[in-house]
Amino acid sequence: MIDAHHGWNLSFKPITLGFIFSLILTAAAYRIVTHYHLSNTVLTAAVVVLGCVQAVLQLIFFLHIGLESKPHWNTMFLLYMVFLIIILVGGSIWIMHHLGYNVMPTMDKLHNMW
Amino acid sequence: MTQSKAMKHEPLPDPYQDEYSRTTFGFWVYLLTDFMMFATIFAVYAVLHKSTFGGPGPKELFDLPSVMNQTWVLLVATFFVGFGGASVHRKHRAGTITYFLLTFILGITFLWLQFDDLSLLVKRGASWKSNAFLSAYFTLIGTFAVHIVFGLLWIIVLILPVIKRGIDMVSVRRLTCLRMFWQFLNIIWIFIFSIVYLLGVIQ
Repeated sequence: MIDAHHGWNLSFKPITLGFIFSLILTAAAYRIVTHYHLSNTVLTAAVVVLGCVQAVLQLIFFLHIGLESKPHWNTMFLLYMVFLIIILVGGSIWIMHHLGYNVMPTMDKLHNMW
Repeated sequence: MTQSKAMKHEPLPDPYQDEYSRTTFGFWVYLLTDFMMFATIFAVYAVLHKSTFGGPGPKELFDLPSVMNQTWVLLVATFFVGFGGASVHRKHRAGTITYFLLTFILGITFLWLQFDDLSLLVKRGASWKSNAFLSAYFTLIGTFAVHIVFGLLWIIVLILPVIKRGIDMVSVRRLTCLRMFWQFLNIIWIFIFSIVYLLGVIQ
């Protein structure tokens, strides 16, 4: 009943593994930003990818997502939430960018007005 | 659904029958709605992070080494809370108390480091009143800090009965929820660290 999740609730091993992975990935992301002179696009992509990998690893090793018994309600609910969040965050950035572009006067537009 | 229709189907095996599974699943649903709230604040920050009203931006204001220290402290706290969770399931009372108290101490350290950072910003004139970017930033960081404060209170409330009476079924369930709460906060922090701080310093 209690250790339904493959005994992972009892084990120290996945926590230690997840911790080591997180240390490496965090240090890598920090080092890429502070020590290497790469273009902004490459840096942004690297930081986002490293962050997402670390989040997925922590979800598996710490929160045991994807390891629960069928039907995988925890995983399904997470995936649905991720889908909603992509729409919410991506949509907000997209629409506000266009709004800012079309509505807010830039400096040269202001000069033309005067 | 009528009685006869219901009788036709074989009952599906339901893995969420016992109270422990139902509670942890319900708590997971709560955590995901909390995730949604953080995502909304993130969206606000993403939209407003360039609106500095002529003032200094993320690159000039953020102290990356200090944020790195906060990240290490929080990560180690998450490591200990995981050990605490495993100890509860093993019914190790001493281990449970030790690991959760270590998490508590590291959580306090994290808050103290963060408060130091934020009060320095305010002293330099970059408070939440200065511009839209800083309002969004303080809202995001403040919401996170409030979550940590409640996590710390929750540790005290749950550890005291364990010290007094030992570990029973109820404390296993509650401490598992607390463990999930803390680990979830660390995942939120990954995104704050990567997107707000690391990408903020790049741009």
